[in-house]
Amino acid sequence: MRRDLGWWALLLPAFLLMTVLYVAPILQVLAISVTEPTLGAQNYNRLLTNAGVQRVVWTTLRIGLLTTALALLLGYALAYVIALARPAAQRWWLLGVLLPLWISVLVRAFAWVTLLRRQGLLNQGLQATGLIDAPLPLVWNEFGVVVGMVHYMVPYAVLPMLASMREIDPRLLAAARGLGASRGTVFGRVFLPLSLPGVVAAAVLVFIFSLGFYITPAILGGGKTLMAAEWIKLQILDLVRWGMGAMLATVLVAAILATLAVFSRVVDLRRLFGARA
Amino acid sequence: MQTFQQDCVELAWQQHRRGRLSRRQLLAGLAALGATTFTGGEAAAQAARELVMVNWGGLANEGFGRNYGAPFSADHPGVRVVQDSTGPSAGRIRSMVESGRTTWDLCDSSASSSIVLGRANLAQKIDYSIVNRADVIGPGFALEWGAAPYSFSSVLVYDSAKFPTPPQNWADFWDLRRFPGTRLLRKDALAVLEAAQMSLGRAPASLYPLDLAACLKRVSDIRRNSVYWANGSESEQFLRTGEAVMGQIWHTRATVLEKESNGRFKFIWNQGLLQAGIMVIPRGNPGGELAQRLLASMLAKPEPQVQLLGLLGNGPTNPKAAALVPEHLKRFNPTEPANAASQVVVNGAWWGDNYQNANAELMDVISG
Repeated sequence: MRRDLGWWALLLPAFLLMTVLYVAPILQVLAISVTEPTLGAQNYNRLLTNAGVQRVVWTTLRIGLLTTALALLLGYALAYVIALARPAAQRWWLLGVLLPLWISVLVRAFAWVTLLRRQGLLNQGLQATGLIDAPLPLVWNEFGVVVGMVHYMVPYAVLPMLASMREIDPRLLAAARGLGASRGTVFGRVFLPLSLPGVVAAAVLVFIFSLGFYITPAILGGGKTLMAAEWIKLQILDLVRWGMGAMLATVLVAAILATLAVFSRVVDLRRLFGARA
Repeated sequence: MQTFQQDCVELAWQQHRRGRLSRRQLLAGLAALGATTFTGGEAAAQAARELVMVNWGGLANEGFGRNYGAPFSADHPGVRVVQDSTGPSAGRIRSMVESGRTTWDLCDSSASSSIVLGRANLAQKIDYSIVNRADVIGPGFALEWGAAPYSFSSVLVYDSAKFPTPPQNWADFWDLRRFPGTRLLRKDALAVLEAAQMSLGRAPASLYPLDLAACLKRVSDIRRNSVYWANGSESEQFLRTGEAVMGQIWHTRATVLEKESNGRFKFIWNQGLLQAGIMVIPRGNPGGELAQRLLASMLAKPEPQVQLLGLLGNGPTNPKAAALVPEHLKRFNPTEPANAASQVVVNGAWWGDNYQNANAELMDVISG
């Protein structure tokens, strides 16, 4: 017991540093939401009464959920293929998944603009083959935003799911086959249930990330898709309505903590954030 | 009541007394908590000799230094004017002033921001015993909490390859039948709502007060056929790449488009929204009264203002400047008398009262 306390004391400086440099300033900023313009909950009342704020919250949730669903779908397929590939091939697959992670989010957003705009590669290609007459509206709308965000989030979806799939004992699959199950049954009754913890972990991670997106919607949305992060920036930097900005920031933090609290009952959060391999 | 930080300090001392934290760790922890005293105010020590002018970066950094800073230093030996390109948004100015350590002297702001800042007691009143009101072309360029050494305009620009008959005004801009194609507007209420109001037939001379509801409805009418820009380079790209065929953008970007496309993209001054490039002095600025003198010097010297027109496209505001503008720049000068006559000066006072609300409403409309 005495020795345990010694270890905790060693952690104390790091803990204090984090508290002072990170937690305390954040709390100070969030506190503005109840002190500006006057003391009280008027900013939070706006959440219930102001259609503009509600729209921003709803847009953020909608895009976050859509992105999560699509990233999980694509990520699951990828993780499945990687998990079942030969070790040598796995390395190449993983490199392919991780490569986009090292490219700046700004560069990737502009790359999507180049591909998706009216005179972009995709529209020109489709027009050249005669499949469409007029360019499709692929960007400057929510579609473009979701494409950009899913692209960003797929690696984050793949990694937890892959980790979970790798823990599945291949002998279980062989045994199920040996007992007469079809490929579909083996997947549906054995593989999928065993990989579910990874899916939930990936969903939590991707959803939380999606709520805070700033650059991708700002560039690919054509100015018409306003998500929480950009709205907060507008209130703080340009309109100087710090109370309102801090209010939505608080709501965002609360939403993230609530998501974590709910799912911490289902999935091991320490594994999700890499504390345990 | 005890604050969280105070409790951290107490906790550290407690741990030290119980032998769980060495003296060195304790001191490091206290320093990190800000519980030991620091000596501050290095900015204040240099105050008298250096003025910090804050701009939005790019060419302005060099241009402002050469044409605003250098002439002032020449008149005031020993005073250096340094440029900082942080981008002095109203929010940044507020956080600096409220932190009690203002390091900026003169900030490139806007008419509406100057009023928002001034009313919140975050900007200093312009001292018109030092700054001369007669040094600017109109009352909209010398406001209570800021004055404008330059001007710019939000103009109608269009792709002439798409329209054999050119659009003439904002009514044409809103006419999607005669001029089909995507429109481009700034993601900001200022200038956009004026254009909407004029498209509804209101005479430019009696534009204010704007009918907010009608203007917002007007923007919402073309929402599906429009895209919105946030920064100047973006506005240029939307037009160059054909994503939009007609737009309301800053005259500086429109000038670059017109020149670099050999006239394919054209812009018109008619019903352009002429705006004052208002500079503000944050409250508690280190240079004190010297910043007022710098601003006065910027307004009083027409030659550097004309230089800036050539470099950045910023219009001069000194009444003597127009006569000095070379022939080839006149077409692109927002305050050239012929150009200014067909524009409308944006009413900073109206926006000071309505900016926050109107902008929130506009965001709601375009993200609808």
